[in-house]
Amino acid sequence: MNDYDPNKGYVALLGWSLNAIDAVDRFDRRYIVVAPPWAEDYCSQNGIPFMPWDFDRLNERSHELAHRLKDEGVDVAIPLFEETVEWAGAVNSVLLNNPRLLGQSMLFRDKSLMKRRAQLGGIRVGVFEEAHDRGDVIRFLKRVNQTLLKLDGDPNDPIHFKAFDKSGTAGHRVIRTPEDVDNIPDDEFPALLESHLDGWEFAVEAWIKDRKIQFLNISEYVTLGYSVFVPATPELEAHRARITEEIEKLIEAFDIDFGFIHPEYFLTSDNRLYFGEVAYRPPGFKALELIERAYGFNGYQGLVLMFDPNTTQDEIDAFFPEAVTGAKGHAGCFGVYPRRRVVSRLEVPEETANHPYFEFHELAEPMEQKVTKRTAFGTHWGLAYFFGEDPHKLRDLLKAQEELDFYV
Amino acid sequence: MTEMSSGAERLTGTLDVAIERLERARPFAKQRHQRPVLDVVSRLMPLPGGPEAILSRAVRMDRAGLFGGSDWDVPTALLPQLTVQTLESDDRVLAALEMASLMRFLAVATGTAQHSTLQQEYAQHFLTQVLALNLPRFFNFSDEASRAAGERAALVARLLRFIAERVGLRDVLGVMVAEIWRILEQRPVQVGPVKDMITQIAVALNQQGSEPGAERLGAERLISALFGPTVETLDDPGLDLYRERLGHMDDAGLSREAMGFARSMHDTGLVSDYHVAFLLWALDYPDRPLVPEAMGLGSTGLDCWRHYRGLIEELIRAGVTPATPQALYGLAMLMERGILHHTPIAPALKRALRLELRPAVRERIDLGFGTQASAETHLLAGALEVIGQPLGVGQGANPTCQSARAISMWALNDPDFLLHLMVQAAEAETVLMHFEGQPINSAELPAGLAGFGPIDADPLSVLLVPHLDRIYAEMGRLCAPRGGDPHRWINPEFHGWWVARDCAVAVDVSTGFLDEYDRFVRRFHESYHPGYNGDRPLIHPQPAGIAFTDSTGTFIGWHAITILRVASGRAGETRVYFYNPNNDSGQDWGQGVSVTTSGNGERHGEGSLEFEQFLSRLYLFHDQPLRPTGHAPVPAEAVERVRQMAADSWAGNRVPSTRAADPAEAPSA
Repeated sequence: MNDYDPNKGYVALLGWSLNAIDAVDRFDRRYIVVAPPWAEDYCSQNGIPFMPWDFDRLNERSHELAHRLKDEGVDVAIPLFEETVEWAGAVNSVLLNNPRLLGQSMLFRDKSLMKRRAQLGGIRVGVFEEAHDRGDVIRFLKRVNQTLLKLDGDPNDPIHFKAFDKSGTAGHRVIRTPEDVDNIPDDEFPALLESHLDGWEFAVEAWIKDRKIQFLNISEYVTLGYSVFVPATPELEAHRARITEEIEKLIEAFDIDFGFIHPEYFLTSDNRLYFGEVAYRPPGFKALELIERAYGFNGYQGLVLMFDPNTTQDEIDAFFPEAVTGAKGHAGCFGVYPRRRVVSRLEVPEETANHPYFEFHELAEPMEQKVTKRTAFGTHWGLAYFFGEDPHKLRDLLKAQEELDFYV
Repeated sequence: MTEMSSGAERLTGTLDVAIERLERARPFAKQRHQRPVLDVVSRLMPLPGGPEAILSRAVRMDRAGLFGGSDWDVPTALLPQLTVQTLESDDRVLAALEMASLMRFLAVATGTAQHSTLQQEYAQHFLTQVLALNLPRFFNFSDEASRAAGERAALVARLLRFIAERVGLRDVLGVMVAEIWRILEQRPVQVGPVKDMITQIAVALNQQGSEPGAERLGAERLISALFGPTVETLDDPGLDLYRERLGHMDDAGLSREAMGFARSMHDTGLVSDYHVAFLLWALDYPDRPLVPEAMGLGSTGLDCWRHYRGLIEELIRAGVTPATPQALYGLAMLMERGILHHTPIAPALKRALRLELRPAVRERIDLGFGTQASAETHLLAGALEVIGQPLGVGQGANPTCQSARAISMWALNDPDFLLHLMVQAAEAETVLMHFEGQPINSAELPAGLAGFGPIDADPLSVLLVPHLDRIYAEMGRLCAPRGGDPHRWINPEFHGWWVARDCAVAVDVSTGFLDEYDRFVRRFHESYHPGYNGDRPLIHPQPAGIAFTDSTGTFIGWHAITILRVASGRAGETRVYFYNPNNDSGQDWGQGVSVTTSGNGERHGEGSLEFEQFLSRLYLFHDQPLRPTGHAPVPAEAVERVRQMAADSWAGNRVPSTRAADPAEAPSA
């Protein structure tokens, strides 16, 4: 690790993310990685400061971790994954002597509590309910569709099923029929059920310090689970002022002094913004990488700035560029799923390979020939990256990828 | 500098983005950023200006950590032989890695960049070897050929040419010329690949202009052997003009031409097309015996010429044509062997001149050798070449070492029998042999190891191997119930009475473990080593089996060879001289066991090893059942040395765990 600034804070990264470690190692803050014991050898071989810790479901030992980190001299803990958000809340409530932080983190971990809290804060949310078993799901599916005045035999409007404690598209299912309900495994309950909103879905990445948004990025989804790009099209960016207001509402509702949030919204055809959910951690799908490609700053380093109690406003102002205008172009990525049932090799489609916006991919040759059926939104086989000047062209290009075979 | 396309320019920008990410990453996080760089490299390489862009970034990519965590991280540990395999790999990322690595070598070799662990001289040498090993690949750049070989092969060819243009071909020529001489020294019957290589060198020299030096001289000697071996052919005038010139020459001039051809042929084993034209012309030249002069005959050959002039002229007219030039060398060597004086040979050759081929046979020969000459001509030419150069027979790319070895052995020891088989196969489409009195008819047997047989070997092999292969397999089938190694019974029945009837096998066939190995080693000494067998020479070639190992000493498989003689090498050491049917005997069998093909008293086509080294790879040999014993005891140290060499290579995991069974070693109760 490089020399760090002794006048700045000492941060703990909760969870194992090589990208995050790499970024923070290159930054000017002292850090320590708190991760499961299997990472120990790797860290000692590579000179990465490390503290072993098992983040199991129950956090009654969080106090122990907090005190060990306190003894170590750590100022603040940064959660890298959904599973470590509560731990960070518990640890920071001790380190920063602010018991409220634990309760706050619990709100982020429970999708149902989160939604109610948002609703209480005057934020518009869709119809939602909790489900503890499949019967709850069937009931919700029926009720939503009755409300929509569908007759028996009409195709149902879908509902969304999100396991309480899973992040991103893992455990996120779109339910249309009772058969879809049968396919939900037991371990995904309890879950949050939501009505489907037709509209424009997008995500926001907000770096927050002193209850102020320091940088706000809008990530435009082309298709949920497939593709995203930053900065968004001018059409979506036109709503930036409203979106900023919504984020400020979240800051109030969740009482956020500092940190990083990653909420999702719908903009419906009647021009209303609906809150979907929010996470208090970096987003998946390599969104921070896209932001780095477009804006040139490293999102993880930005996170450290937000969490470190010793960060100055001058430092922050120097770190972040101007939103939208400060971007060199638009960066997007596409998650590749094999479209065929049986595949033998990776072959980037010619349209893609020859497109001037295509940069590179992280796809590997197929390990198995037979493609397992996707459950939920599934896991993509790798990402293809794009970069270009024109956001509309980029959006259409990302959309077009869905119809192409990368594995043949 | 090639003009850069807009696509290449854009991708170069992308490459820089990917390299920057890789550079930025800490060593432990490099791996994730390697793949994107390689992805862009593989797409940039085929574009105009792409290779230049990659070359100029090659050392930077290396420093950024592109090769971290892979074998390529230590450039001096890479093997030039493996390079092209990786370049043509189905895995594009791996291929790109090799491309980037070669570009790094190139940048250092040309002095445009420095590398912490790679010296300029080393980089030059490495690239030279890569180019020499792959010259055929990158001179095959008629676009037609590239297209047929596929896009990836074309890309590899372009990359190799890109490198060649920058490091120069002089050293490459040196390496290749040495390699060609090494192969020619073994006098193969099949010279097609060598002729191709020489042609490519000629093209290369022509295109590159002259770079003087010893390499060029060696190359020109080879080129002239094919395209201009004499005074009147030096300017490669073309066959028509050359024949016209012959009409104007005086006797002295003609004699000089004849001797020029002969010298070049015996020097290289290659026959120029002009030589064939001269010989055919000389057949009708009344005033002077130009034919024996052009064949470069020594006293034995001349004697044959005097006795069998009519037959020989007939063999030339029927067998030596522009499509079969090497038959001229084969015939000359056949005459030089003196075997025409062996009673059945002359009539057997006459019989071979009167072949009436079955249609299927004709089809097969046409398929393998084209129709520029008749199938009869090809077969006769094949017979002359094989009998003239018995140790030049190769199995081609076929798993038929047994059959190739048999053909070579008969050509050496039983040429009239070989001609007899040829007539059977050509006219009756079968070969009839007997196994312990039981007739085996190849026409009635299913296809053997090689399917329907090779067509990439000499014509006689193309004709015979499918039959021999089936018969060999059938004999194996008949032996299957007996247990033990079937070669013990097959070899004498298949090859001839002169294969010794007793047989020693180092391995117990049922367990795969060594079986009385010390005895095996002693016995080979007693039977074959002149120092331990009462100085008795080996009379007939003997089939033997070796455990074939690669250059690391790792066991590859069992292989059939022929032991030809055991004699003293140049330094007085006892060596085994043997024939290996696998096309090129010069091989490194690992742990210092390196088969030489010249320089240690080898005759053309022989490979040789020091006695104990040879024995350390031997697993089966034939032994006379009735031979005197007790000449000299075999020293225990010699046995131990051989045992150690075997255990260090192929037999490492075949040593039975006898220690516990040995009462002397067993723990006392």
